[in-house]
Amino acid sequence: MKRTGFLFDKRYMLHDTGPEHPETPDRLKAAYEGVEKAGLLPKLTLIPACRAEERWVKTVHAEGHIRRFEEACLCGYGEFSHPDNQICSETFDVAMLAVGGIIETAKLVMEGKLDNAFCAVRPPGHHAEPNKAMGFCYFNNVAIAAKYLQMEWGIKKIGIVDFDVHHGNGTQHIFERDSTVYFYSIHEHPSFSYPGSGREFERGSDEGYGYTLNSPVLPGQGDKEYMEIIERDLAPAFDTFKPEVILVSAGFDAHIDDDMSYIKLSTQGFSWIMKRIVEMADKHSKGRVISILEGGYSLERLPELIKNHIQILLGM
Amino acid sequence: MFIDASMTRDVVSIDPDASILEAKELLKKHRIHHLPVVDKDNTLLGIVTDRDILRALPSAFLNDEEVQRDTERFARHKIKDIMSRNVYTVSPTNTLEDALLLMEKVPVGAFPVVDQHGKLQGIISIRDLMRAFINVLGIHEPGTLLCILAEDKLGTMKRIVDAISEERIAFGSILVARHWEEGTRAVFPYLLSHNVAHVKRKLEKLGFKLLNPMEWYLDRLPKND
Repeated sequence: MKRTGFLFDKRYMLHDTGPEHPETPDRLKAAYEGVEKAGLLPKLTLIPACRAEERWVKTVHAEGHIRRFEEACLCGYGEFSHPDNQICSETFDVAMLAVGGIIETAKLVMEGKLDNAFCAVRPPGHHAEPNKAMGFCYFNNVAIAAKYLQMEWGIKKIGIVDFDVHHGNGTQHIFERDSTVYFYSIHEHPSFSYPGSGREFERGSDEGYGYTLNSPVLPGQGDKEYMEIIERDLAPAFDTFKPEVILVSAGFDAHIDDDMSYIKLSTQGFSWIMKRIVEMADKHSKGRVISILEGGYSLERLPELIKNHIQILLGM
Repeated sequence: MFIDASMTRDVVSIDPDASILEAKELLKKHRIHHLPVVDKDNTLLGIVTDRDILRALPSAFLNDEEVQRDTERFARHKIKDIMSRNVYTVSPTNTLEDALLLMEKVPVGAFPVVDQHGKLQGIISIRDLMRAFINVLGIHEPGTLLCILAEDKLGTMKRIVDAISEERIAFGSILVARHWEEGTRAVFPYLLSHNVAHVKRKLEKLGFKLLNPMEWYLDRLPKND
């Protein structure tokens, strides 16, 4: 069994998105219960959250964005830059705790104290752009983790796999010109799904050309297509790129019972995907995988999905 | 909506007495395919395209010496000898639809834009039209597409738009697919939001049927028997 870290903190539930919003604190409650009821907690290394140093947030985000976000929360605004981004007075602090917890997790993996980890955080991050909050996201957690690994630990090549059903536009833009971070996203076709980006012809630019890969999936498709696409697109890409660490933007909204998309991935489908990613990490990255929660809104399915996800990281 | 807003204003034009070689250089330098021909008062006289120029210059199969000799000879000819004088034009106050429908009818890729005095004000190409309609569709902005089956009855569209607007969600665009089935239309609102699940539920409660857009599309494909 592997030494798997589990980042979770009750304070992540303090980010209150109001009554009509799918990104609720209950998601984390459901995730935690799934792990607890399956008796997995004793097998995991529990990582407490800590507040990030702002210098790490600044590796990705503009100072203006950080200050405006902080101010919006301090002033008691209900939303930040778009009604999608519902905030409360705690949101900024929670977002800083999410980033900080993830950095602490990455540190433990790099120190060799953990083989891999799952970070059950809120708010999610992959839609956040350097200067813009978007799609329920404020700080791009995965992007900041990648920068931390490169700058603090000298990691040269990072592979990011985003299987949230929505395209990770923020992460893609941040590393668009970067040939040291390979960004792969599989998501519902942008003509049918937020945020409307992530088409096949988006391959990166300048030095980063060829280090971005998008696999759009048509509405109504599911397990069979995901398996074919990942074998056809992701596996060969990582065989060539050979990432030293794999970061996963783990969204669970492609599930057939999640009404944020028309994709019909099954619970077993998610397990297949994660097993495949862990195999790639074992092959190229000394098993180093850090998986970070993005979307996933079915409170009925999240417990089992997160439990399965963590069992795969544990190697059970 | 008007050509004025989408046309290229710094239009590259040429004098009727200029040489064909000059025209070729201009097309290459500015990476364009259409060159309006104007007099000193900027009155449109004709148009020259890259095809006209290719036709006028020597074949790609000639050897270097032949090319050199022939090019010099042809270069002395003037633009007014090869330009088209019958030009399809539009005015700045024509609409984008005018340009679109005209371009569907006639075999050209760009229209010089002239005012009521015949003076060249700009040019609008198929690329400019494409950009304008991408803006109309709103697809550069992040959003979610819905597919609603609605009764083809007066007031239906208003109910849909009101239901969505009440939730403070902005529209990128709304497309309507006509002749869906007798008495129904497929309405495709493109909503500038990630948080539309509650809007979908609301529309369903109001009696609208929401479809997976692919179901609609697949249903429209010819069936293989």
